[in-house]
Amino acid sequence: MPAKDIDFMDVDSDSDISLPAEETSRSKGKGKGKAVAKPKKTKGKGKANEQAYTWEASYTRSWDTVQEDAGGNLQGAVEDWMARDRRRRLLAPAGAIRRTIIRHLILLLDLSSSMMDRDMRPTRFDLTLQYAREFITEWFDQNPLGQIGVVGMRAGIGERIGEMSGNPQDILRAIADRHKLEPIGEPSLQNAIEMARSTMSHLPTHSSREILIIFGSLTTCDPGNIHDTLDDCVKNRIRISVVALAAEMKICRELCDKTGGQFGVAMNEGHFKDLMFELVPPPAQNTLSRTPGAGAVNPAADLMMMGFPTRLPDTSPPSLCVCHSELKSEGFLCPRCLAKVCDVPTDCDICGLMIVSSPHLARSYHHLFPVKPYEAVTALVDVSDSTSACHACARILPTTQSTSTAAEGISPFGRYRCPDCHNDFCTECDVFVHDVVHCCPGCGK
Amino acid sequence: MKFFIDNLPIIFPYDRIYPEQYAYMCDLKRTLDATGHCVLEMPSGTGKTVSLLSLIVSYQQFHPTHRKLIYCSRTVPEIEKALTELKRLMEYRISCADTVEEKEKESNFMGLGLTSRKNLCIHPEVSKEKKGKVVDARCRDLTNAAVCEKGRQDPGSVDLCDWHENLGKLDPGSLIPAGIWTLADVLQYGRDNGTCPYFTVRRMMPFVDIIIYSFHYLLDPKVAEQVSKEMSKDAIVVFDEAHNIDNVCIESLSIDLTRPMLDSAARSVGKLGEKIEEIKQTDAAKLQDEYAKLVAGLQDATDDSVDEDAFMTNPLLPDDLLKEAIPGNIRKAEHFVAFLKRFVEYLKTRMRVLHVVAETPLSFLQHLKDITYIERRPLRFCAERLQSMVRTLELQRLDEYASLQKVASFATLVATYEKGFLLILEPFETDNATIPNPIFHFTCLDPSLAIKPVFERFSSVVITSGTISPLDMYPKMLQFTPVVQETYPMTLTRNAFLPLVITRGSDQVAISSRFEVRNDPAVVRNFGSILIEYSKIVPDGIVAFFPSYLYMESIVAAWNDMGILNEVWKNKLIFVETPDANETSIALENYRRACDNGRGAVLLSVARGKVSEGIDFDHNYGRAVLMFGVPYQYTESRILKARLEYLRDAYRIRESEFLGFDAMRNAAQCVGRVLRGKTDWGLMVFADKRFARADKRAKLPRWINQYITETASNLSTDMALTLSKLFMRTISQNPNENQTGISLWTLEDIEKAQAKQKELAIEAEQSREDEEEYGDGGIDDDMLVDFDLDV
Repeated sequence: MPAKDIDFMDVDSDSDISLPAEETSRSKGKGKGKAVAKPKKTKGKGKANEQAYTWEASYTRSWDTVQEDAGGNLQGAVEDWMARDRRRRLLAPAGAIRRTIIRHLILLLDLSSSMMDRDMRPTRFDLTLQYAREFITEWFDQNPLGQIGVVGMRAGIGERIGEMSGNPQDILRAIADRHKLEPIGEPSLQNAIEMARSTMSHLPTHSSREILIIFGSLTTCDPGNIHDTLDDCVKNRIRISVVALAAEMKICRELCDKTGGQFGVAMNEGHFKDLMFELVPPPAQNTLSRTPGAGAVNPAADLMMMGFPTRLPDTSPPSLCVCHSELKSEGFLCPRCLAKVCDVPTDCDICGLMIVSSPHLARSYHHLFPVKPYEAVTALVDVSDSTSACHACARILPTTQSTSTAAEGISPFGRYRCPDCHNDFCTECDVFVHDVVHCCPGCGK
Repeated sequence: MKFFIDNLPIIFPYDRIYPEQYAYMCDLKRTLDATGHCVLEMPSGTGKTVSLLSLIVSYQQFHPTHRKLIYCSRTVPEIEKALTELKRLMEYRISCADTVEEKEKESNFMGLGLTSRKNLCIHPEVSKEKKGKVVDARCRDLTNAAVCEKGRQDPGSVDLCDWHENLGKLDPGSLIPAGIWTLADVLQYGRDNGTCPYFTVRRMMPFVDIIIYSFHYLLDPKVAEQVSKEMSKDAIVVFDEAHNIDNVCIESLSIDLTRPMLDSAARSVGKLGEKIEEIKQTDAAKLQDEYAKLVAGLQDATDDSVDEDAFMTNPLLPDDLLKEAIPGNIRKAEHFVAFLKRFVEYLKTRMRVLHVVAETPLSFLQHLKDITYIERRPLRFCAERLQSMVRTLELQRLDEYASLQKVASFATLVATYEKGFLLILEPFETDNATIPNPIFHFTCLDPSLAIKPVFERFSSVVITSGTISPLDMYPKMLQFTPVVQETYPMTLTRNAFLPLVITRGSDQVAISSRFEVRNDPAVVRNFGSILIEYSKIVPDGIVAFFPSYLYMESIVAAWNDMGILNEVWKNKLIFVETPDANETSIALENYRRACDNGRGAVLLSVARGKVSEGIDFDHNYGRAVLMFGVPYQYTESRILKARLEYLRDAYRIRESEFLGFDAMRNAAQCVGRVLRGKTDWGLMVFADKRFARADKRAKLPRWINQYITETASNLSTDMALTLSKLFMRTISQNPNENQTGISLWTLEDIEKAQAKQKELAIEAEQSREDEEEYGDGGIDDDMLVDFDLDV
């Protein structure tokens, strides 16, 4: 291909040198140059359009990323993926860490014109909306006590799209209508962050304040100095994380570094999702954020008040709720002021008490006491006969080494052992226990 | 960390070392051992300065001879940076020293930096002056020998500089305690102790181990004679950032005269005449005295003067300095004034000519003699004679005589040199101007003239830079033979930069800044679309370089009409470099701000401009460099033509070869701005089809060239964009891999490398021995015996 290209290029005099001896060749070059330019003009006019054609974009050869082994099997590739997951889990700190389980997150969506770029399919915008929906569902599943609000940055201003709410349905409804969110204009990080900040300014100290920015643009048009906003965010202990879709911008990296958030640039669609979902588990509580003057003298005894509401059955007489002023029969009664709210968890609109239900609290608990990562069994010397089956699913574990080369953190026998109860588990159960159950069946806790 | 190269112990102030730094030190040591010269190219941002300093300091401390180091850099901030680095190194060395004596030895090590009076003055009034020349002149008024003498005899009669006076009370050699002093440190010390920082440095120069100053102090004969005379012959001279050292050499010996300058010179001559009349009335003995001295000979006249306050020195190179007496016809003061008057008038009449004149010094002298009867010999002494007269008359405010000084230097130079110089008179500024604004250029064509004394005097001269390819060009141009000539690649754990050569636009039209096609709308639009597209996909800062101001102006105007600038505006702000330094620095400041707060900016600048030479665009300040066109010099320039001709005749360097070399070193210099360290990353885009040629690419430094892949060397705009996007995504991933062992070496890695090297050496030796064994081709005796037995 390159050789062919060279043939097409006219060979001309090398430089601007015009020495007397070269006078003739120079005039010749001139004629040539013009001749080249002409056909171009007619050709160029048709596609002055800034929209790139599909064939101009890069190929996506998803099949190339999967490597087959010598026998044509995909087993090795799949195991690689699992090994990667396992390694990540091993890297995570095992002990109990203080994590904030009452979370407040503002999802900041870039709705500027750069989101119409097609380098992620179908477009950055559609993909972002789709992942945002999945993210919200997953996030509420893992953090039932949290609340999410949505802010968009569009045409130079920050736009409130969804109010801060603990109900996933509300949020999903807010971003359901694609046409209302049509990207336009330039983004303004400062305006949007200021809006998010003001939304969270009233929150108590025990809850986390986080902003997740999905940023597709490479510029920001701010009315003032964004560094002031950044300083305010640091002061208000707001954690900003950014998932950039194009490249690393200094200011984004700075926002994340200074506020203790995460920064990532999406390589492709899958990586984009990974980066977003990394933010689902609650962040470790920032010891730095506890300034001595904040009132909490002893962090260990930092108690907070919560109320468990009385649930009204569907058959109860309809009454007005305090949140929407609608006549409804079902709902929850605040244990302190007996006001009726539609949904939990929430803060009572009348007395400000935090109303949660006990299952919510329990669900949030596993983040604080995670199951310890299982150790990969690499040799069968100390395995007794009794443990020939998986302790969880009772499947017989293989005793011969599998053919694929063992990566770090992968057992050649597909056998993983709990460090506490010393029971062995198969690969699938290992994943299931850590990702879904969050409780070791052997230890029972 | 501490390690050995051969048997020289090196103390390096960091725990890790880059492999190329190690290689650099090895080669440097080889040069010093051989007491020869070398040319070394090492990528910018890989710690060139620190490896250089740590090796040389180790070398100095290890060998009892104590060779002095003269380190030349280009700008004041760079000098300060080198001094800070040196200070850090010495602190580390002191902390590393084992015994008390060693500690003592390390802390007695002395390093100073020298810069102009303007930067080092702390006199409350003088330091407020804006122009360097004025500061110099006012300082001289307060500190020269005659004034000092008068002031000391009769306190209060004349103004003296207290700071300078305080210095006189200390014994020479201990004006400042031993150690490393950065410029800021020296200033602070001066303020604290009431001493003059400038003269402290000047007078301490014979006593220091390392002196760091600008190129000019060594290359410009006008300054070098004053400053660098006492440097011993075995000193090690280092020219850092020496990629256009040849231009510095040429500039230091070239003089341009304009009509306002001649007018001012004529006025000065008049003033001199008046002064002489005055002196004659009051103090005729003084003039007589001077006359007697001049008769006695030049040498004696200069010997007893304190050369620190010399108003000007001879612009001649040391070996051309005359050892004879000043000729009789200019010995008398009034005769000399008349002589000068005649010469200035002659130059003025020459300037009235309305056509271009180019002539050799010889024909100029002949013409001069025909018209004015001025001979060559007195002309040669012009500068010397003027200096002596200024001293006798005790003139004040010498900055007003600057033009006259130039004329005198011009006279001396023109009368001394026959080869390697040319006089060019250009009556109009541009080709189509109608109002004459004549400039008389006296240009040096041979860079080796100015640097020759340096090579001859000092045994080891190191020429180093980030971009000094092709290496063999420099020895050829500067006429020296290097012992070591080396370029180093850059070891990186990830490809931190991506060089791309765009040869055609998305519509397949070849793009080029060749003169014939550069204003073609298709080419202009394709250049524009490159800028638009890159402004869309590159975060933060983009720097775009054009070959010349003229071309930049025309292309920006065209872009404005085509609406290209409006498109770019949507993504980034646009800043433009102008020839005005102040405007440019404001533009730069705002450019930096825009890069910092995420707005993003494009800086349009010119190769060979201020931006391309001294300003770093590290990290977010430059994520991409776009090089629009090949930065050839303006070939219609008569000076350049003369220089090319000279290079061809004298050194057999072909015109196109030199132009290509010059263009590529400037291009490399421009794109090199973007990468200032191993954590930095950026795109380098060469937009011209001529960059695709192998001969052009071969002239790029090796560390850039090694990353230009075959596919990336001939791209259209859209292909380049796809590659750039992919690169940017990849490089933005959080760097978490460990660089140790690959691009960062610990002590063990060095030892490993050394062991390997030794092994290789032994192997090579063995194979040679083996060869020798088989060399005689005969059969061994044993074998013969065996053979016999078998039979």
